[in-house]
Amino acid sequence: MTLWIHAAVLVTFVAPLLMLMALGVAALGGLGGERALGAVTRVGLVTALGGALTALSSYLLTSARPPSLRVGTWFAAGETTFALDLAVDSLSLGFAALSLLICNIVAVFSFRYLHREPGFRRYFFQMAMFVVGITLVALAGSVEVLFVGWELLGLSSALLVGFFQERRGAVNNALRVFAVYRLSDAAMLSAAVLLHHWTGSGNLIALFSGDQSGLAPGQVLLIDALLLVAVACKSALWPFSGWLPRAMEGPTPSSAVYYGALSIHAGCFLLLRAQPLLAASTAATLIAASGGLITAAYGSLAGRVQTDVKSAISYATLTQVGIIVVEIAAGLELVPMLHIAGHACFRLLQFLSAPNVLHERHELDNRLGGALHRPSPTRRAGVYLFALERGFADALLERVLVAPFRLVVAKLDALDRRLVGDTSRARGRAP
Amino acid sequence: MHHSSSNTSRAALERIVERVGHLLPAQGPIQVFVHHNTLHAFEHLSFHDAVVEAGRLYGCAPYLTEDRYRDELRRGRIGDADITAVLEADLGGRRDELVFGSTTRLELSRLLVAHGIPEHTGWALQWELDETDALERARVDMPAEARERAGLPSTRDPSDSETARYVRALWSACQRAAERCEASSPRRDARPERLRDLVLASLDIDIDEWVHPLLTRVTGAFLDQGLADWPMPGRERGLLPCFLELYSRPLARLGGPLGVTLQPLVKRELEARRDGWTSLERSLEQLGLPPETWEEFLEGEALALRGFAGMVYQFERRPDRVPVYPAPARLVDFLSVRLLLVRAALTRAATSVGFNGSLAELRSWLSQSPRAPTPSSHERAWALFHVAQLTGLTAANVQDLDARALERVEAVLSELDSIERRRVLHCAYERHLRHRLFDALTRHHPPSSSAPAFQAAFCIDDREESIRRHLEEVEPEVETFGLAGFYGVAMHYRGINDAHARPLCPVAIRPRHYVAELGEATTPALRRRLLRQWERARARFDENVHTGSRHARRGAVLFVVLGALWVIPLLLRVVFPWLHRALGRSYEGLQSGGGRLAIEHQPGERPPVGEQVGFTPQEMAEIVFSQLSVIGIRDRFAALVLIIGHGSTSLNNPQESAYNCGACGGGRGGANARAFAQMANLPEVRRLLAERGLCIPSETWFVGGERNTASNDVELYDVDLVPARVRPRLRRAVETLEIARRREAHERCRRFESASAGLSPRAALRHVEARSADLAQPRAECGHATNAFCVVGRRSRTRGLFLDRRAFLVSYDPLGDADGAQLERTLAAVVPVVAGINLEYFFGAVDPSGYGSGTKLPHNITALVGVMDGAQSDLRTGLPWQMLEIHEPVRLSIVVEAEVARVQALLSRSAELRRLVDHGWIYMAALDPNSSSIVELDAASVRPYTPERALQAIHGGSRRHYEGRRGHLPFVAIAPSTEEVA
Repeated sequence: MTLWIHAAVLVTFVAPLLMLMALGVAALGGLGGERALGAVTRVGLVTALGGALTALSSYLLTSARPPSLRVGTWFAAGETTFALDLAVDSLSLGFAALSLLICNIVAVFSFRYLHREPGFRRYFFQMAMFVVGITLVALAGSVEVLFVGWELLGLSSALLVGFFQERRGAVNNALRVFAVYRLSDAAMLSAAVLLHHWTGSGNLIALFSGDQSGLAPGQVLLIDALLLVAVACKSALWPFSGWLPRAMEGPTPSSAVYYGALSIHAGCFLLLRAQPLLAASTAATLIAASGGLITAAYGSLAGRVQTDVKSAISYATLTQVGIIVVEIAAGLELVPMLHIAGHACFRLLQFLSAPNVLHERHELDNRLGGALHRPSPTRRAGVYLFALERGFADALLERVLVAPFRLVVAKLDALDRRLVGDTSRARGRAP
Repeated sequence: MHHSSSNTSRAALERIVERVGHLLPAQGPIQVFVHHNTLHAFEHLSFHDAVVEAGRLYGCAPYLTEDRYRDELRRGRIGDADITAVLEADLGGRRDELVFGSTTRLELSRLLVAHGIPEHTGWALQWELDETDALERARVDMPAEARERAGLPSTRDPSDSETARYVRALWSACQRAAERCEASSPRRDARPERLRDLVLASLDIDIDEWVHPLLTRVTGAFLDQGLADWPMPGRERGLLPCFLELYSRPLARLGGPLGVTLQPLVKRELEARRDGWTSLERSLEQLGLPPETWEEFLEGEALALRGFAGMVYQFERRPDRVPVYPAPARLVDFLSVRLLLVRAALTRAATSVGFNGSLAELRSWLSQSPRAPTPSSHERAWALFHVAQLTGLTAANVQDLDARALERVEAVLSELDSIERRRVLHCAYERHLRHRLFDALTRHHPPSSSAPAFQAAFCIDDREESIRRHLEEVEPEVETFGLAGFYGVAMHYRGINDAHARPLCPVAIRPRHYVAELGEATTPALRRRLLRQWERARARFDENVHTGSRHARRGAVLFVVLGALWVIPLLLRVVFPWLHRALGRSYEGLQSGGGRLAIEHQPGERPPVGEQVGFTPQEMAEIVFSQLSVIGIRDRFAALVLIIGHGSTSLNNPQESAYNCGACGGGRGGANARAFAQMANLPEVRRLLAERGLCIPSETWFVGGERNTASNDVELYDVDLVPARVRPRLRRAVETLEIARRREAHERCRRFESASAGLSPRAALRHVEARSADLAQPRAECGHATNAFCVVGRRSRTRGLFLDRRAFLVSYDPLGDADGAQLERTLAAVVPVVAGINLEYFFGAVDPSGYGSGTKLPHNITALVGVMDGAQSDLRTGLPWQMLEIHEPVRLSIVVEAEVARVQALLSRSAELRRLVDHGWIYMAALDPNSSSIVELDAASVRPYTPERALQAIHGGSRRHYEGRRGHLPFVAIAPSTEEVA
């Protein structure tokens, strides 16, 4: 049985990788029409989903708990090994199955939605990158695998926000998203390095199953804090929420799968996996809980005044993400799992049918026999301004993160110019 | 003294704001998409001046690119004869002037238009010369005669050594020649420069990036029709007071890049109690702008965010078209808010670079950017170099050109600049297509018709051309008509399942009558009540889910408990849309049919909208009379007359209403058709009609219906009332319609790349049905794409012609119209609608992201009145690229079956029509009722048409002609065959 489950997990792991490679070659070489690319994507995704569902159902049916699957070792040096481990448990297989199901649905949607779009190849390549990323995050049994998945998630996300490259706004916003995701990656990388340093391996399975032997309480807190930063950036928790409305620039299905269904929940999923580690530190638990609460309150406040449908849905999503984080911090297991699954499916449909909102409103009005429009009593102007300005979260990010960063870069740039200027003058050419 | 001067400047400012308002997009809330000329503000200009002027102002393309036209030239879609004809007409007597040697002006112009000159200037040209082989090889498209004249081998290889020598020598000769003559200055003005452009050029700061996010957010919140839970507080007082109230709070200092400088400014403005006009005036003064520059300045500022500005202006002008809450919007408020933001942004930009003076001094402090330079000698040599290659001049020939000849060349080049070449190419492009229609109409000899088995009237819509043709092919004994699809019934209508009434008539008419569909006990009462309650409960559940999903606690419970169930609708709607549609339809089937129209006048009742409930018999008789007398049906009534309106269903399509019936103001025309049929069946109405000489035989019965132009569903109304004697006819008509709609779907599928070429008609029908129910489908149908013509006349003149869904077909019987009054009425009603549709598609296709709304994929519904691109942009007006993809932008040619004198008399009477025709916004032609001659005309001149090509005949139905072909098809005569089965 273990062999069977491991084989299925391996299929889930390998199929998206092969798909990514095939689409990458197609994108580089400008090869393949819509039909061919569609067939590759379909085969890859259906195979991966089949693998995940087989593994999950077998796992649930058997009483034996199979060990994690070591695909290989990246390299080993002395005591330290960098291993490619895949976790085999209900949480990882469940999230993998959910993610692949959603990716399948979105792919079917996208074939028709992006028909004849000039960036068709690019889109499916980047989606494939996302599929590999989310599969790796779901199945990660070692911090190395997790990190690669996390990076791919962030990279493909930023690329798809900037999908319409000819529009300045889209590219600017993609850069903003990318910057916040880099912060997330930096936190994740620091956590990985510290983990290796302190425990000698990047094995998450032991760590996440409550075995913190060899870690001092202070070390646990630091790793928790880094993980929380990584999660908060990825899931747009407050105070890192400012980028979320900016991410609505890509084609509708990519917004749906990232910010409605999967990417936004990736942080929650990681937190859920790391729950024992989180629970080991009361301070970290409290930080997580309060972060979640503030996010939920903030999301629901800002969401009430947004006047474009995609921002409104994204803040509604954020509200639930905040609550999921609170549930995880409270030590619940099944509830956040159900919450993630249900919320992802619902939001996906809501995002995909966002351009249908006029049609749906009209139908609902007719069926109710009157207008749905029932505005709540007007709030105080100050509260309204706070909500309309999205809690000044974007300005906050700008002031605390972007401006100082930009200042450093500007200084470096000036230095660079001076150095280059000197050299070129030395060579007798004007800069 | 001071008082009166402020009054005059106030009046001037009001006029300026009014004029600026007219330049803004005229698209109202998107629920009702009314097609109109995108450049309506420029209709007082001739078409070509208008596209250039508007292109300059809006930053949009005036025509397609030269490359696009040259592709069409290579394909044969534009002929050399077309270009020559256009140039001959333009040049008139100057055509034979010699430019140099034996080359005439016409010849040189033709070469320039057909081949063009690569546009490279400044550094780009330098790069081209340094880094490419431009000076090593001749043009690939160098004409054979030119090669011969230049003594080059007639080889196809343009880079052999002899040619390379020729080219190098030619280039140095051209350089020397260019130095010998004076440069002429460029003809066109550059786009007006805004203050923001100056700041961007000299400080590298784009103040629009600071101003626009805030302005779009505030304006969106102000206009919102219920997308947000909380409406903007105090918006009943107007945009400016509301904005001042919100952004004068100390909290506002935290917001974005402008917060710190904006808040004190707004606070002062609030304390000074200024209204929109005084605030605007104050801002203009503070910016140091003299009154004579106000108009240009405000134009630029309004157009920088023209979607939102236009929507504000539409709210102000037509509050009756706002769906839920007509917020008291005023353009002056919008502009005054904008200028406050601009001032705050400029202050911040100025301080960031250490400028401390007043804003009024800022402009002179900023360096002026250079104006468009006159062409350099390199640039002129480049042009001459290409002229020489196209005409076959050698280096020695160029050397010999004297200053006069060079000046003449320069003159031709500057007259035929890129825009002008595109104009000529465009006219040739239109001429070619127009002449193919004229060929078809003059060469077509329709079969004689017998007494019809049944008759069917459709809307004049170009999408009905195909269903009419297929109906006639299936059933040769049918007669079809085309009428404006509201069938003369202008009403506010509320269906049995509608929450609100809506007007169903052209937008120019404000209907007086109100008609409701009332329930009738056709199903057992209990079942109906139960269904109704179940339906209400379901609706309330949906509403709770909708609102709950946005709330924290309710949402959490919902998602944890029920969330995973959403995978079912998700799969159904995205992966199996056809199954979703089938389930939905069988559920609707349970619900029993609707009720009946309460069409008759109820004297005592007050309608919820409009002035009276129902129509009086006299009014009904007038409607029926006016509609039927135009189309010449008078004495040939069949026992069954179908009246078919149309609408369109599609999902995930904010522009859904643009697919509906234009004559019903973007609504669905089924109710109008049904009302008309009901009127024509009333004995009282028939009696009144008989008094006026229109005798409808007692055995004739009218049946109304609606066709869905996306899914091709055809629904007929009130069939249970059809008398027994007409029922066999009705059965036959329904069977015919069934086959025709399958074939029509089949023909339409050739345009959908995602429908495979080998579909059967049955599968094609399933395909279009699934399309209209598919969330993932951005092209539910083709809409009016490819529309190019309007034929006003008897169907017998076009019956049997394959017009490829490109023509609006208006029924008009010239023989029954003694004084031309009917023609005048028909054209007055039809031309504005069809010209509006045609021109909106035209400009959208010419510049899909400038005049159109770009690709649909990132569209984001905002305030329930329009769409933005992605997270933040201007409101995007116009048609999306997906609707325009297959459209050929050509101006509408209207062919009227009437004597030339009658059409010209009509043009001279109708100012509006004359303006459209004489300024070249539409083409007009008269088709002689008694012969097959066609004359192109405007108010002043006539140009008889000489047929150019024969008309091909295809046997065996339309399918033989279109099958397996995706592109535009030639017009042919279709001879029907009876052996074909669907």
